[in-house]
Amino acid sequence: MPEMPPDVTLDEVKDRARLAGLAIPSNRLALVRGFLVNALRPIRALDSRTIRTVEPAVHFDAKGGSGS
Amino acid sequence: MSADELCYAGIRELGALFRRRELSPVDYATDQLRRIETLDKDLNAYVTVTAERALADARAAEAALKRGDAGPLTGIPIAYKDLYATKGIRTTAGSALLADWVPDFDCTCVARLQQAGMVMLGKLITHEFAFGIQFPGHRFPPARNPWNLDHIPGGSSSGSGAALAAGMTVGSLGSDTGGSIRGPAAFCGIAGLKPTYGRVSRAGVVTLSWTLDHTGPMARSAEDCAFMLQALAGHDPADPASAREPVPDYLATLEGGVKGLRVGVVRDYFFDQVEPETVAAFERALAELGRLGATVRDVTIPSIHATPSFMVIMLTEAFAYHERDLRTKPELYGDVLREKLMAGGLFRADEYVQAQRLRAQIREDTARVLQSVDVLVTPTALGPAPAFKVVLDPDFPFAKSNMGPFNITGLPTLAVPTGFSTTGLPLSLQISGRPFDEATVLRAGHAYQRETDWHRRRPPVRA
Repeated sequence: MPEMPPDVTLDEVKDRARLAGLAIPSNRLALVRGFLVNALRPIRALDSRTIRTVEPAVHFDAKGGSGS
Repeated sequence: MSADELCYAGIRELGALFRRRELSPVDYATDQLRRIETLDKDLNAYVTVTAERALADARAAEAALKRGDAGPLTGIPIAYKDLYATKGIRTTAGSALLADWVPDFDCTCVARLQQAGMVMLGKLITHEFAFGIQFPGHRFPPARNPWNLDHIPGGSSSGSGAALAAGMTVGSLGSDTGGSIRGPAAFCGIAGLKPTYGRVSRAGVVTLSWTLDHTGPMARSAEDCAFMLQALAGHDPADPASAREPVPDYLATLEGGVKGLRVGVVRDYFFDQVEPETVAAFERALAELGRLGATVRDVTIPSIHATPSFMVIMLTEAFAYHERDLRTKPELYGDVLREKLMAGGLFRADEYVQAQRLRAQIREDTARVLQSVDVLVTPTALGPAPAFKVVLDPDFPFAKSNMGPFNITGLPTLAVPTGFSTTGLPLSLQISGRPFDEATVLRAGHAYQRETDWHRRRPPVRA
């Protein structure tokens, strides 16, 4: 499987919107792309094998309560 | 004390005047309502003014004072961000979608403050659904900054910041998902406390992002935030994230000063893109804390640069909350906000999970740093409040956030003013502490405010 490019492209935004069934006007695609680029940059830079698995986690207690 | 000075009085001072019968809560509420009527035509802080309710609350407060049955908040005016459900009073979330929603219940925070005897002046404008500033043509116009009407008061608790700065209430509540209490506090020259995640109930407050939303007090001083937090804090079974941690007496330790307090400054990340005037004001504040006896040193949070990934969490959760309405009634969302929310529908499940894993790493790294210092101090915002003409560009990007790290980590964080820009706009720093250690954060903020008068400066508005 090829590695993800470091930044989300405009075509990728259009693909994602199509898959999600969301109609995003063409004059807002650059704005939306900006959000995705900014938010995903740390994730795309991440080698997920190098961080300790601490989450997601679900906790239970003996009294029957649960929470995450 | 002149009427203009009185409208900026703090909770301790007002409470003393009420108890000595030198000031009537009814007269004070009447003056506040008159001030709102005069000033809010330009400021747009209030969505709804509840004049009759205010006077009824004030009469009840006066009766309690006569009975000797008054607490520290009895008779103190309060106005709520319009995300907080109020029984019988419309709660719009700054949106056309909820423009006519009249809840049949008070949310927990409102119930607690009203129980404490506060006087409800009304509801304050919020950015739409605590996320998107209202563009021209929106049903609810945005609030304006009392320091300069051409500038935003910050968001999303925009009305709260503007009303407090203009002396149009004494206390307010905000909500903070990525800085929405601290940003308006910074831009309006007031104090805002984002308590620890779980410390103050979110039950009955319109959601933006379940795992990042915080509720908390906004006021003109750290001391007033402490008074309000005392009434707000504590477990609420109606909020699944509500903590069972005991609630200390915040006022009892407030005067303790900062001698010996270990202050950590995170130079990495938090100073990127920060304007020189803001840095200079921050360094002067840091020197002041040092002069008062705090020990200051630089610290490092290794994973802090992963902070922007919190937007994956926020946008995804916001989309989950709004999806049905976005698909069926998109026309009821504001321009631009609609697409911002839709962006949350474009992340993949694995990206959300990875964002949560990065969040856990930032939390762990920050917790480790807080073993060697008692508080972290950082600039709240990158600079003073931007102008409307800048922010109302549909392509205005999300600025880098100094506040988001403390939503990720859930740590208690207080914003207080540190001075003014050459353009006359307020500047601010934020003080963050260990989980559930609001007492230390408030003590540090109060110690700084005892020695400085930035929070006593008044904007150029006259009633």
